[in-house]
Amino acid sequence: MSLEDNVRAIVEELLKDMEKGKNQVSANSLSQTTVPILDECQITDLAEIDLQRYLQVPNPVNKALYEEMKLSTPARIGVWRSGPRPLTDTLLRFRADHAVAQDSVLGEVPEEFPAKYRMVSVQSLCQSKDEYLTRPDLGRKLDAENLEVLNKGCQKGAMVQIIVSDGLSSKAVEANIPNLLPALTQGLEGMGVKLGTTIFVRHGRVAAMDIIGETLKPEVAVILIGERPGLGTAESMSAYIGYNPRLGMVESERTVISNIHKGGTPAAEAGAHLSSLIKKILEVKASGMKLE
Amino acid sequence: MTKEMTLVSVGIDVGTTTTQLVISQLTLVNVMPGSQIPKVEISHKSIMYMGNVHFTPFTDRQHVDGVALRAIIAKEYEKAGVKPEQINTGAIIITGETAKKENASEIIHSLADYAGDFVVATAGPNLESMIAGKGSGAEALSKRLHSCIANIDIGGGTTNIAYFDRGKCIGTACINVGGRLFEVDPLTHHLNYISTPGKTIIDHCYPNGSQTQSGDEVLVIRRCLRAMVECVERVIFHEPLLAQDKTLVMTNSLPEVSLDGVVFSGGVAKYIYLPGIREWWIHGDVGPLLAETFRESRLYSSFTVHEGSETIHATVLGAGAHTVNISGSTITISQHSLPLRNVPAVYPEIGASGRFSWLKAAENYNDSLYRTVALVVPALPNTDFQTILTLADTLAYELPLIKGEPKVIIALQDIAKVLGQTLQRLLPSVPLVCLDGIELALGDFVDIAKPLPHEDAVPVIVKTLVFAR
Repeated sequence: MSLEDNVRAIVEELLKDMEKGKNQVSANSLSQTTVPILDECQITDLAEIDLQRYLQVPNPVNKALYEEMKLSTPARIGVWRSGPRPLTDTLLRFRADHAVAQDSVLGEVPEEFPAKYRMVSVQSLCQSKDEYLTRPDLGRKLDAENLEVLNKGCQKGAMVQIIVSDGLSSKAVEANIPNLLPALTQGLEGMGVKLGTTIFVRHGRVAAMDIIGETLKPEVAVILIGERPGLGTAESMSAYIGYNPRLGMVESERTVISNIHKGGTPAAEAGAHLSSLIKKILEVKASGMKLE
Repeated sequence: MTKEMTLVSVGIDVGTTTTQLVISQLTLVNVMPGSQIPKVEISHKSIMYMGNVHFTPFTDRQHVDGVALRAIIAKEYEKAGVKPEQINTGAIIITGETAKKENASEIIHSLADYAGDFVVATAGPNLESMIAGKGSGAEALSKRLHSCIANIDIGGGTTNIAYFDRGKCIGTACINVGGRLFEVDPLTHHLNYISTPGKTIIDHCYPNGSQTQSGDEVLVIRRCLRAMVECVERVIFHEPLLAQDKTLVMTNSLPEVSLDGVVFSGGVAKYIYLPGIREWWIHGDVGPLLAETFRESRLYSSFTVHEGSETIHATVLGAGAHTVNISGSTITISQHSLPLRNVPAVYPEIGASGRFSWLKAAENYNDSLYRTVALVVPALPNTDFQTILTLADTLAYELPLIKGEPKVIIALQDIAKVLGQTLQRLLPSVPLVCLDGIELALGDFVDIAKPLPHEDAVPVIVKTLVFAR
């Protein structure tokens, strides 16, 4: 018997004894005190509840209609009340969702994420999330060091340059990129489009596309960026596409597809749609208002 | 920026008594904000031309007069100022007793070809009931009131019932009860024709031909009509059917639900809403008398009776304006593979590991005349890229083994673009039609039109022939 096995046997023995002791105690006098502890373990995670199927009004007059109304909107309707106030779980869930949104803004995309999808990773001039939030202008720029990373690591003059950025939701990147990126790549390659090296920009804004375009001179750049989270979802992503991306391009030159998340356009389908949209932009040689 | 698209849709209803034609214009718009992936919906339906009500021409009691019918349609097109080539979609439906005539199928198909490129020929009591309920406004009413409404469409030969629960059709029935099962001479007010279902009822009410002794024909008719309406009552109230009902009830899939109201439509409905006509023989039939009998029935007194938006035109309007669906706008379509007609929906078997297989179900259509089949993708647990790849692998293996081209795949979930692109990579030379946003049930058939001018979405007509219980 190895040392490890020995230790395990001893621990098991000890646990058994403790269990016995506990049972005896509870059987004698303290049975009431154990009940709340058990209950606490059974409390479900409030955030797990599907709000649109959660009927809080007791004994509704018309349950079918109530269900239908709930299913028709993600808004928090029909949540019942306690006197003039919301119920405790309504309030807690609201705060939990708000916390998720804040986490999503303030959280970081994991360090190893870009490498996993073979992206070249750079960072904007913002050194922290606080700076990112207060200085939008810095989120659009890259310093010389980061530009050097791009020059060294990325292919120049590609037909399509894909850029991924955390923007205002790191969760959007983690939730959507694993499904969106392969669908987009498959779609574009299927149409014979040559792709550049995918870039990840930490603390980036949409217009980070401009400096990257100026540096790498792709025909089209697409930036997949986390949207400002709401209470409905913190995982929504947008794609901004620019033909001939360059410093000084105007916002109306960008085509946008928003609302990419589970409850909106699913990521994989969005990737496939983006590929045909990009193909069209390559053919027409224009994006944004000029495409219409 | 919003580009409006319109479709010209024709509805032609060849009924027991009358033939009608309506040309409507469907306005389609993208309902999503500019930054989102488009979703096209029918925003508005307007009637461009309402044809006259013609008597359906017959060469004899068993044959529809195809030449005369075609002349009626041609005349109406001319009056409306449209050419068959301008018609984008629509349906021609042969209903009631006329659908039973010997040459019905042949006539309706040749008419559909004449009427326009994408006009579908349909028949069948289930579809007729549903179309009438959509055209009468009962469907919209049930949606608006969030309630369960029955549409009772009383025509010349049949009464078609459809239940709509909050905008969804949940069951239909078709009963041989109509205003023209007895025909009367407008001058003498004597019966001059009794249809087969009419005879059955007379035989039931007056065994051994005793009606001839009673002398008063109106009394005989009234008694027979009451017997017929009682049969409709038994169907709607789910009471046991009597022996004489069995010959009248053709189909019945009405669920046992509590109804919140009824809407009457069809030619007879006019006299239900406007009672008190003295010249009951005015149409040479018993329609007005039948209306009176319905008014006196439990159907009228037990439920809230709503007035629909249409009575006599309900079916033709339904056929023209309410049969078209629009697919999702992220779909995959190989060039020149549309339009397609009469594609049967094929549901997969689901294996132990949750893997779908369509092979066995598709085998049933191997020797059929259908050009191709539509493989239905049931709801997936998620729409992740990996899930789509697994599904595409299965399809790429099975599609070449299934007869027919183009290969048609239809899902309800928003996956058609990514699934289609994956399949194009796996099967580069196979013509493909991959659609989403369309719900198909077992036994459905679909017609798929050419894509819309500004969007990638396609109009689809789902022909529901069977109701899932």
